[in-house]
Amino acid sequence: MPAYGLSLLLSTDPAPSLLPCSADAVIRDRSKGGSCGRAVVGAPGDRRGSWEPSCLSGELMDLIRTEGQRMTAAQPSETTVGNMVRRVLKVIREEYGRLHGRSEESDQQESLHKLLTSGGLSEDFSTPYPPLRANVIEAINELLIELEGTTDNIAMQALEHIHSNEVIMTIGYSRTVEAFLKEAARKRKFQVIVAECAPFCQGHEMAVRLSKENIETTVMSDAAIFAVMSRVNKVIIGTKTILANGALIAVSGTHTLALAAKHHSTPLIVCAPMFKLSPQFPNEEDSFHKFVSPQEVLPFTEGEILAKINVHCPVFDYVPPELITLFISNIGGNAPSYIYRLMSELYHPDDYEL
Amino acid sequence: MANVAMIDYTLEFLTATGVEETFVFCCWKSAEIKEHLQKSKWCRHTSPNTVRFVTSDLYRSLGDVLRDVDAKSLVRSDFILVTGDVVSNFNISKALEEHKLRRKMEKNVSVMTMVFKESSPGHHARCKEDDIVIAMDSATNRVLHYQRTQGLKRFRFPMSLFQNSIENVEVRHDLLDCHISICSPQVAELFTDNFDYQTRDDFVRGLLVNEEVLGNQIHMHVTTEEYGAHICNLLMYEAVCSDIIRRWVYPLTPEMNFTDDKNQSYTHSKHNIYRGVDVSLGHGSVLEENVLIGQGTVIGSNCSITNSIIGQNCSIGDKVILDGAFLWDKVHIADNVEICHSVICDEAEVKEKVKLKPHCVLSSQVVVGPGITLSEGTVISLHPPDEEEEDDDQFSDDSGVNKEESKVKLKGYNKKDVGSEGRGYLWKADDKNEEDEEEQRQSLWGPAMHSEEESESDSDLSMGSEEPDSRAASPQLDDIKVFQNEVLGTLQRGEEENISCDNLVLEINSLKYAYNIGLKEMMQVLSKVILEFPLQQLDANLDSQNYFSALLPLLKNWTPLFKNYIKRASDHLNALFAIEEFFLEHDSLCTSIAKVLMTFYQLEILEEDVILNWFSLRDTSDKGKQLRKNQRLQKFIQWLEEAEEESSDGDQD
Repeated sequence: MPAYGLSLLLSTDPAPSLLPCSADAVIRDRSKGGSCGRAVVGAPGDRRGSWEPSCLSGELMDLIRTEGQRMTAAQPSETTVGNMVRRVLKVIREEYGRLHGRSEESDQQESLHKLLTSGGLSEDFSTPYPPLRANVIEAINELLIELEGTTDNIAMQALEHIHSNEVIMTIGYSRTVEAFLKEAARKRKFQVIVAECAPFCQGHEMAVRLSKENIETTVMSDAAIFAVMSRVNKVIIGTKTILANGALIAVSGTHTLALAAKHHSTPLIVCAPMFKLSPQFPNEEDSFHKFVSPQEVLPFTEGEILAKINVHCPVFDYVPPELITLFISNIGGNAPSYIYRLMSELYHPDDYEL
Repeated sequence: MANVAMIDYTLEFLTATGVEETFVFCCWKSAEIKEHLQKSKWCRHTSPNTVRFVTSDLYRSLGDVLRDVDAKSLVRSDFILVTGDVVSNFNISKALEEHKLRRKMEKNVSVMTMVFKESSPGHHARCKEDDIVIAMDSATNRVLHYQRTQGLKRFRFPMSLFQNSIENVEVRHDLLDCHISICSPQVAELFTDNFDYQTRDDFVRGLLVNEEVLGNQIHMHVTTEEYGAHICNLLMYEAVCSDIIRRWVYPLTPEMNFTDDKNQSYTHSKHNIYRGVDVSLGHGSVLEENVLIGQGTVIGSNCSITNSIIGQNCSIGDKVILDGAFLWDKVHIADNVEICHSVICDEAEVKEKVKLKPHCVLSSQVVVGPGITLSEGTVISLHPPDEEEEDDDQFSDDSGVNKEESKVKLKGYNKKDVGSEGRGYLWKADDKNEEDEEEQRQSLWGPAMHSEEESESDSDLSMGSEEPDSRAASPQLDDIKVFQNEVLGTLQRGEEENISCDNLVLEINSLKYAYNIGLKEMMQVLSKVILEFPLQQLDANLDSQNYFSALLPLLKNWTPLFKNYIKRASDHLNALFAIEEFFLEHDSLCTSIAKVLMTFYQLEILEEDVILNWFSLRDTSDKGKQLRKNQRLQKFIQWLEEAEEESSDGDQD
């Protein structure tokens, strides 16, 4: 389902009851992160059309927050939705703050001095500013443009990281990694080994696409990852979510790959755009996990045995931050230990819990 | 079903697959269904699927509904027909495209496409009542033969199935009927034309039988990866519920909350444990695996819960063991209770130290007293049993409960059934049924699965008991019996009215074609009828002499008849076998077998070679051997051999 189609749907009816419908669409469609993000950002932007000028920004933020909660409750593993909602909230806060007369430099929450002297005054967002609406819409459009350009930005950094005659390993299918490797292949010659990532075997699709660009590609099963790792120079993967501590939620099989890479001291590079960064920590809640139908693991046609056993088919893996070497995102390359800083630039602390 | 109404699953399946207008036909409890649906998300103005209700008390079957559809012209194009208890995540667009393509290519010949799911025969989601065997054409997916298995161990397939020009015929038993069909508008018309079509089965069978006449075809679509099942009895309910909990019907899983009801939000944890909001679990209680707990439920300490679905606002005491239990809303369970594979409906109460054996059902608001054990398959409901009314059948639930209550005198509750503090009556199915009681109790749950070992031993037995003599095993089909009677009638008339043999031959030939009897069987029947003929005249006097004297003139009269049919050696043998069989049945007439054979020989109906051949057959049954030891028969055979030698000598000379 095209992202813009979704936002069009939302624009026809500003009633908040429409968003559960979009939540359904999110569940059913399982759209990729980027299009999800664009869709979500488009939604508040279009609702702005019906927002009366006398509305206060505080009310708008509450509205967006409730809808964001609803959407994340529908499919907790799609963290992009929540991330985009938080970005929009941050945008609104910034614009409001700018109009309210505060300068940007002084708005540093980490400054201890600021915390002591401000004495607990909180922004109440109650003053209406007519130009606020236009500013916010402009900022959101900039956000949309940034979202569209993430993959290209990442791909532009490919040449710095991939050198000639290297063996690169990857797992599953990631559009970001595909663009990254294709861009590097224009100038350099290298080989790629793709782990097929059972049970969905998306690695096959990745290998087909890479080989169309005349990159020498090999597909292998997940079991051979450790055996082949000694010959690999770099491991480049994509991910579903980046957590606040620098850990990854990626397709199942990535943890194996990361452990094997660590054992052989092979650098593990993660290519992911910034909208995948989520301010949540991995905790007991396990809400990032997604278990789908066991059909892929043990098909229904197996018969009687299915009544006697439990079959699980998890989609994602957790990869701890100490196994990762580098994050490449649209704003450049960063170490996992720097993630906390990036997070504070993107999201406001009050929005970490939607 | 996992705390969500069944019809919600069906509507979600339809909406997800792109249906935009749904007609819901209700007959019983239609007001409640309508209310439920109007409160649900399907009737909001943002719903992509518009739901329309059609209710009538006259709907008694699928056939009535479709006839109404045709009468009111509710649908003009292809439509999807499902029953209200279908749970599926099937995406019907591919099957729909195939259907439309077929109809376009061969102008409206294909009338219906049925959807099946591939699943091997032992699977627990295969409903025994609904089990089918289908013969299909592999190239076009056309259904050629459709049969319910219903506990049969042998099936018969008509030869015409394999004899027509279709190259690849597949006979499949690994299909689960999803009860989802894509129908063309002709389906409704066909139901109107044929008043006796009540179910989809009738329709399919009728269509297949009349295929040559009307030219309509049914096709099918088999899905391997998506899930589809319909719930027709409690065993299926159990199977499909456990499939939902184990996520086979993804994305219609409980934590998705597709009905958008605030009370239905669950969190999914390891081992398929789903917990609603405000669930409290006591100290030491263990939710082992595959458990769904509804909102607001309180569970006591040291409980052990596995494979169960618990509704909203239930309260469960301490030390309770639940294994395969299905508890609906507001159920109260006291301490030390054990529940195994049972269904407990709304607001029922189970007091202390009760044990429920498998396959029990406690209906709404029933109370089961302390300390009793309910045996397997018990059904307790507040609906009192009507002992005076002989007409009380299994469908008593349909009619209003008020009517029944006013008739029956209010009796007290039977303490043995429900315990000292219990409230409820033991519900028995119709006693007029002659099946065993076991089956009656199972009828609520549906036929149970047979183990595979049973079926193997059965087939061994049947193989052993078959005699090598193929005559004895030839099945007495109804057709042959009728044919026999007809031939008998013909011969009787022939004798009374002295009809010439040619006319008799004509009549028998026409009977043969009418009943589609093979030559061999016809020979047997003919011989049998003729030999039995005198018996009818003689009545009690089964004396050989009398018999023979009665038979002789008949044989003489009907010689041309025999000669007409006995032409080849195999015909002779068949006749001899028939004669042998007849005399085996009528031992007292054994002595006249020689005379009969002599007569046949002299009338040149049977030749000596054949008779000798028959006599010297090694592999006959014991009785046959005994027959051959008959003195007179042996003498006759000797005489025959001598006669043959003489004639052959004569030839050589």
